[in-house]
Amino acid sequence: MVRKGIKDKVAIIGCDMTKYGELWDKNQYDLLFEAFHSACKDTGINKDEIDASWIGIFYYFTGLSGAMVEDILRLDGKPSTRVENFCASGMDAFRNASFAVASGAYDVVLACGVEKLMDEGGSGLPGFKLFGHPLYPTPSAPAMFSMAATRCFHDYGWTKEDLARVAVKNHDNGSDHPKAHFRSKITIDQVMKAPMIADPLGRFDCCAMSDGAAALILTTPELAESYAHADDYILVKANAISCRTNFPWYIPSNGPGADFTSFPATVKAAEYAYKEAGITDPRKEIDCAEVHDCFTITELINCQDLKFCDRGQAAEELKNGTFNWDGEIAVNPSGGLKSFGHPIGSTGCRMLTEITKQLQGRAEGRQVPDAKIGLCHNLGGAFAVCSTTILSQRD
Amino acid sequence: MIGIKSYGAYLPRYLLPRELIGKAWEFPIVPGTKAVAMADEDSLTMSVEAGLDCLVGIDPKTIDGLFFASTTQVYTEKDSASLIATVLDMREDIITADFTDSLKAGTTAVTRAVDTIKANKDIKRILVVAADTRAPEPSTMWEYGFADGAAALLIAEDDNLPLSIDDYYSVSANVTGPWKRADKDKFIRTFEVKMDAKFYLENIIKVMSEILKRNELKPEDIGAAAYYYNNPRMYGRVARMMKFAQGVAQNSVFFQLGDLGTPMAFVLLIGALRRPKPDAKILMAGFGDGADAILMQVRDRDALRNLGKTRMGFIGHQKSMKALKNYNKFLAFKEVLEKDRYTRKSSAVTIWRDTASVYKWYGVKCKSCGTIQYPDMLRSCYVCRADDQFERVKLALKGTIFTYTLDHLVGGAYLDIPVPRCVIDLDGGGRVLLNMTEIEKPEENVQIGMRVELTFRKEHEGAEFKNYYWKCRPERGRP
Repeated sequence: MVRKGIKDKVAIIGCDMTKYGELWDKNQYDLLFEAFHSACKDTGINKDEIDASWIGIFYYFTGLSGAMVEDILRLDGKPSTRVENFCASGMDAFRNASFAVASGAYDVVLACGVEKLMDEGGSGLPGFKLFGHPLYPTPSAPAMFSMAATRCFHDYGWTKEDLARVAVKNHDNGSDHPKAHFRSKITIDQVMKAPMIADPLGRFDCCAMSDGAAALILTTPELAESYAHADDYILVKANAISCRTNFPWYIPSNGPGADFTSFPATVKAAEYAYKEAGITDPRKEIDCAEVHDCFTITELINCQDLKFCDRGQAAEELKNGTFNWDGEIAVNPSGGLKSFGHPIGSTGCRMLTEITKQLQGRAEGRQVPDAKIGLCHNLGGAFAVCSTTILSQRD
Repeated sequence: MIGIKSYGAYLPRYLLPRELIGKAWEFPIVPGTKAVAMADEDSLTMSVEAGLDCLVGIDPKTIDGLFFASTTQVYTEKDSASLIATVLDMREDIITADFTDSLKAGTTAVTRAVDTIKANKDIKRILVVAADTRAPEPSTMWEYGFADGAAALLIAEDDNLPLSIDDYYSVSANVTGPWKRADKDKFIRTFEVKMDAKFYLENIIKVMSEILKRNELKPEDIGAAAYYYNNPRMYGRVARMMKFAQGVAQNSVFFQLGDLGTPMAFVLLIGALRRPKPDAKILMAGFGDGADAILMQVRDRDALRNLGKTRMGFIGHQKSMKALKNYNKFLAFKEVLEKDRYTRKSSAVTIWRDTASVYKWYGVKCKSCGTIQYPDMLRSCYVCRADDQFERVKLALKGTIFTYTLDHLVGGAYLDIPVPRCVIDLDGGGRVLLNMTEIEKPEENVQIGMRVELTFRKEHEGAEFKNYYWKCRPERGRP
């Protein structure tokens, strides 16, 4: 399947993100501009050194086409492409940028993502009126994922309190992150008593609507030696995407035994990524992971599908502290989508930035001890697209 | 002979106690209840229900025509009959027509169906569906009467039929009784109620008396008389003036269901056919700018009894109805309250292209692995990945909930929040995602493993036309 792959061929030499939140006083231009220039500063380069860019944007109202990058960054006509792949848009922009470096086509490239959701108003993701077939039901995003929760309660015996622990853990982590949208700790009681969004998911089971941007600069490991992070650049070990049925997303055959209790796209993308990276025991080998937690149920199921624990055991493992900041695998040490919100096109790049800093030992106040190998994971659409990236410290 | 081969009815799930209307406006309290359709129902969707009930055990492909009768048709330049026939999965080489603008449209459609079958050797069966959802002006006495419902009669030519149609007689009368201007009025108006009553009595008595006379029958020869009336006093006066014996004039509808409008005479007839007497002669009459009387006779009592057992008909619906607890719900159902109604984009092109799946409820079966799937927009099997191996299969209108949620975030024009979004495994195969309607306290009542029935409802008004699709509802007992 993977022929030559990109393992050890791409290095992250600088990255950064904006503050995430309800950024009423900023537009998408400000956000990308700020993320990019901080990343350049982190890398120690001038913008003219960028050879090509890939930008993750989900919504048309945030921006269309790679020309967005030119509008905002003025890279003097350098190649640029907009990537859209649901919630994996940002990480897929990174994947495309990685391929460009690994192939030798370019020396230094930009992978970035931005989304400006708050200008649209309303509650929940905008645009549901505009997508899809005129007659088929259009459940909201939490409604789609909550159907998995309903089924996991039925099959695994999980409870609303099990889900609440995900929110409590992630907000606990996020309270230490200066760029998080939400920095307050919450209690299980607060989660349980919050208004329903889509039964059984309440307000604290759902990630928020936020604005934000993140940017990473990539080159080859050889060239990385001549930049600021020569000693602590980060290596890309693998990046894999799996696409499964997006419509009809509720079909019974969406993976064997995976009837709303597993995300087949995650299973497959993880399988590809572990194979390329040479990881055989993810629970032991991976130190920290940013795992897609658009909803609390999503994180639990994903932890199983990423083979961090056995199927049906995620709730128990979480309760036992396995996924805590100082547990066996720190899951969402940044605070995750729960603390940052989910400006869709940017989220993948935000996760990659976070794991890069963790592996560099630069995650001030939230540093996972001895983090050497990290994982980033997005799941988008109605369980349709998964992107999984594995990063490690340089050799 | 030409007669009635089958019948079906539809009464909406909810009843409004008249007491609630009285309390809302401080009117004198009137006893009884009336049938109220939900906001996602209209004359078209209720006709589909009545049609489904009528065609239990009958192949829709054997029907040669569909006549739709209503005063509350949903379009003017666009008929309803062709859409109802499509949803009922009838053939394309059939005749369809809408009979509108008069409350006697139902009985008139029956007489035209009889004539068409007589005149055309290729047309043997015509399904006549009548439905109304007349909206009364709030705080008027009309609110006590106007109710919603539908009924269907399958008119056919056959050697053996449960009920023959032996004669009809009609009169036309131009009276400015109740009216509703096509270009201006939302609600029905009237000029002089007492004059309306006089013309009603004159017309309905005239057609029924005349048809008896033409057929050399006396009132005592009639076993059942199902004639339209819009208040109980009028019903009694007609019965007395016609000298019908006790129990002949059918009055099973008004007290509980109200004035159903166009389908009222059909529903009264269906009620009368529950306990058929051998060879009984039956009268049905409709009124509105004139009147129609139709003379029928019981020809096959067992067949009639069998219809009663196999269809929800009148009783099956009646016993599964539920009283509303407040008057405001009724205003919401009637869309009197100007709610900000969520609309979606739509496309007449997409819907037309997907007619087989979205209206006729067909899925596909993979010839390679046997999996039944829905919708049929895809060309490659999602189980075995075989390409172009699909054949169309008709899907069931019943199933079991596999998983669900209650969506508080995205409602719909015709959906109450929270919306139960249900993933359903259909009986016989196929998994679908449908919204649920007719559900009270979904937090308590929706469950994995719950049995549901499909019902054709209004979904939204995207692109400024009526967007209909299937929803599910808790079982009401449709066969």
